[in-house]
Amino acid sequence: MSRDVFTFLVGGKAGEGVKKAGSTAAGHLALMGRHVFQMDDYQSLIKGGHNFSVVSSSVRAVTSHYMRADLVVALDALSYDLHHEHLADGGVVVYNSDQVSDGPGVGLPMTSEAAKYPSAELRVGVAGAAALAAALGLDRGAMQTLIAREYARDVENNIAYAGAIYDAAVPALGGRFRLEGGGAVMPIVSGNEAIGLGAAAAGLDAYFAYPMTPSSSLLHFLAAHDRDLGIAVVHAESEIAVANMAIGAAFAGARSMVGTSGGGFALMVEALSLAGMTEAPILCLLGQRSGPSTGVPTYTEQGDLGFALNPGHGEFPTIVASPGSVEEAFRLSAELLALVWCCQAVGILLSEKHLTESSMTVRLDPTQAAWAEPVGHPGGAYARYAETPDGVSPLAFPPSREVIKWNSYEHDAAGITTEHAGDIARMHDKRLRKTETIRRAVERLTAVNQYGDKGPVIFTYGSTTMSVLEAIHAGGIEATVVQPVYLRPFPDWALYEHRGSSPVVVEQSAGGQFARLLAEKGDIRAKTVIRRYDGRPFDPDELAAEIKSALK
Amino acid sequence: MDTMKAKDDLATTAGMAWCPGCGNFGILDAFKAAVRLLEERGVPRERLVMAAGIGQHGKIFDYTALSGFYSLHGRAIATAQGIKLANPDLAVITFVGDGDTMGEGIEHLIFAAKRNSDITVVVHDNGVYALTTGQRAPTSARGYRGPSTPHGNVEDPLNPLVLALEAGATFVARGYSARKKELADLMVEGVLHKGFSFIDVLQPCVTFNNTYATYERLAEPLGGEPRTFEEALTLARRQDRLPLGVFYRGDKPSHEESLLAGLNPVAAHPSRDERAARVAGLIAGSVKQP
Repeated sequence: MSRDVFTFLVGGKAGEGVKKAGSTAAGHLALMGRHVFQMDDYQSLIKGGHNFSVVSSSVRAVTSHYMRADLVVALDALSYDLHHEHLADGGVVVYNSDQVSDGPGVGLPMTSEAAKYPSAELRVGVAGAAALAAALGLDRGAMQTLIAREYARDVENNIAYAGAIYDAAVPALGGRFRLEGGGAVMPIVSGNEAIGLGAAAAGLDAYFAYPMTPSSSLLHFLAAHDRDLGIAVVHAESEIAVANMAIGAAFAGARSMVGTSGGGFALMVEALSLAGMTEAPILCLLGQRSGPSTGVPTYTEQGDLGFALNPGHGEFPTIVASPGSVEEAFRLSAELLALVWCCQAVGILLSEKHLTESSMTVRLDPTQAAWAEPVGHPGGAYARYAETPDGVSPLAFPPSREVIKWNSYEHDAAGITTEHAGDIARMHDKRLRKTETIRRAVERLTAVNQYGDKGPVIFTYGSTTMSVLEAIHAGGIEATVVQPVYLRPFPDWALYEHRGSSPVVVEQSAGGQFARLLAEKGDIRAKTVIRRYDGRPFDPDELAAEIKSALK
Repeated sequence: MDTMKAKDDLATTAGMAWCPGCGNFGILDAFKAAVRLLEERGVPRERLVMAAGIGQHGKIFDYTALSGFYSLHGRAIATAQGIKLANPDLAVITFVGDGDTMGEGIEHLIFAAKRNSDITVVVHDNGVYALTTGQRAPTSARGYRGPSTPHGNVEDPLNPLVLALEAGATFVARGYSARKKELADLMVEGVLHKGFSFIDVLQPCVTFNNTYATYERLAEPLGGEPRTFEEALTLARRQDRLPLGVFYRGDKPSHEESLLAGLNPVAAHPSRDERAARVAGLIAGSVKQP
């Protein structure tokens, strides 16, 4: 191990339990009291292909996986071919000797041993956990405890199979990596789980979605816990239905949220414009994948920034923010739900596959989360769209003695359709006043994160923040990293000192959308834009080299 | 019908913009009568919420002093289901056009019926896109000439009743805008029915598709309610007569009952501390235990 990070990479076919082997490693390392970061690279298929899971771990907080691993476990021949050369100094590759005849590394009879048990193919991933246990120097009892905890179904066969692999691995691998631990044992949470937990902490009542990677795992998480939380979770017929149902639910008083990715978001935008007109508080997770169109469904990108900033026809206030870590995803999800309710606006939580579906050790405190509250009707005659100085009209919900009319047509204060010139202009003014109200609300929040205060400035945002922070650590680079959390309103009040500057910008889009936003809104003109747009998140070592070159 | 002559406390300030003689007037009158009848049947108007799509039908939203949501073209049924899921104690009645719900929004109609959402859908079925100057609708007859089909409609019409029956609606009826009392009764029954209620209303459009003569000739009350689903389907397929009344009543759990298992998300909205405790419990669950 050449640095303060230990990385475990396990690769194999879909259906072999690759991700499970990764999360088993992450769980064990977290139990040791270490920080972990797990990134799963998988394809849009159910069987075959090539998947891998990378877990990087340290006694310090680690904010990215590393592609050069200390221990690579290749469950099949393809994984060996693709990863055996990607070793950290002192690293070792363990391969399936039933599929790879010779080569550097340690061969273990993963397939032939698995064949002694039912569901041989599904069991191969257990070999990854067994090899890790040997390499970390676990004794036989500790290895069995690990397997029993993680592979509880058909546990006896799993322990027997793991035992055979462990015995074969110990002579060459036993205790190769003796890791320190001893820190607090932290929860391991994925980005989507953090988003769901954050929204729940803010008072979420109803979540509507149609499955679409990389947001489906939020639907799955909330559906699995709907009764624990006391919320409605609805898988509707399309993203169009999803967005319209959520707006209907908001009319009835439910704190509602939807989640999707680019294509589904495209179907939702008509309804987001409806939310703008009816002043429906609605929060949407836009989990980006590689586009355009169907694109590359299970890979990451930041190609939808421009779309998120302008999500629908007509002019209406919109809030867009993008979290730079799993912990921030939790905080921001709650904060946005509260903001959309205080301002009766559309909120977009912009994230990426690299954050929503990666997991890391975190500290989350639900008592510190924001809480969504409607601006209530104080009594007296009620008009849904009553004029107010801040543009926010009080809400009442049915059943009520008041007549509460929300209207997609331009409307008067009572919510009755109008084509009256004065009404039209007044209602535009009222809605636009909320833009200023939102700005004042966001000014009180952490709208920009700054890491460090020395050296050249690097601008980045979203999940790429995690990559940049890890790259700087890995490369020993002295730099100040600036991450706008809020993108609309653009936090120019917090970026004033950067006006006219020429920083390095790092983002995961082909066209440099973030760099363009900085130039247009902040007069910040990148001297170099480091872009990656092959669907893969940055590797910290590679990114460190690119940053060094850009800073020369 | 005395209730219709009562002081109209359901009127609004909106100016009337339907053509004189429009079938929509009959539907509006029937709805106001239904609101009053429902109050007698234990559904106070505070608890009754309306939704509407976009089209000539949708103006009923502006003309009725009742809480509700004027939705997008084709999307009112989705909006209505969202309202019902958030607060299942509300009674939700949704007014849609035939083009609105069987053109742009047909997925929501089919799925609301499929899942038996406990809402009532009233189709203002005039066989034409009236608000956009008379183009053919999904229910227009083959040969219908409108500005988008100057050589005649080359498609066969959808049959709304058959569609609703096949999709799983548990209350399916046909009304006629000129028979207001019967239509009001259908609306009351639809709202009181547990599950998805679908009422197709024959509605002449005096400007673009005046069907009064046809409906006066062909529309007649059902002799008796069909006893089986198959009988209902057979009757719904008839072209020579247009029977009015309830075609089918089914009994199965509503979507909200099944999905929410007794939860009323709005009524059960937790305190901040309660929710924080539940979230903390889930976070604790993601800590590995040795």
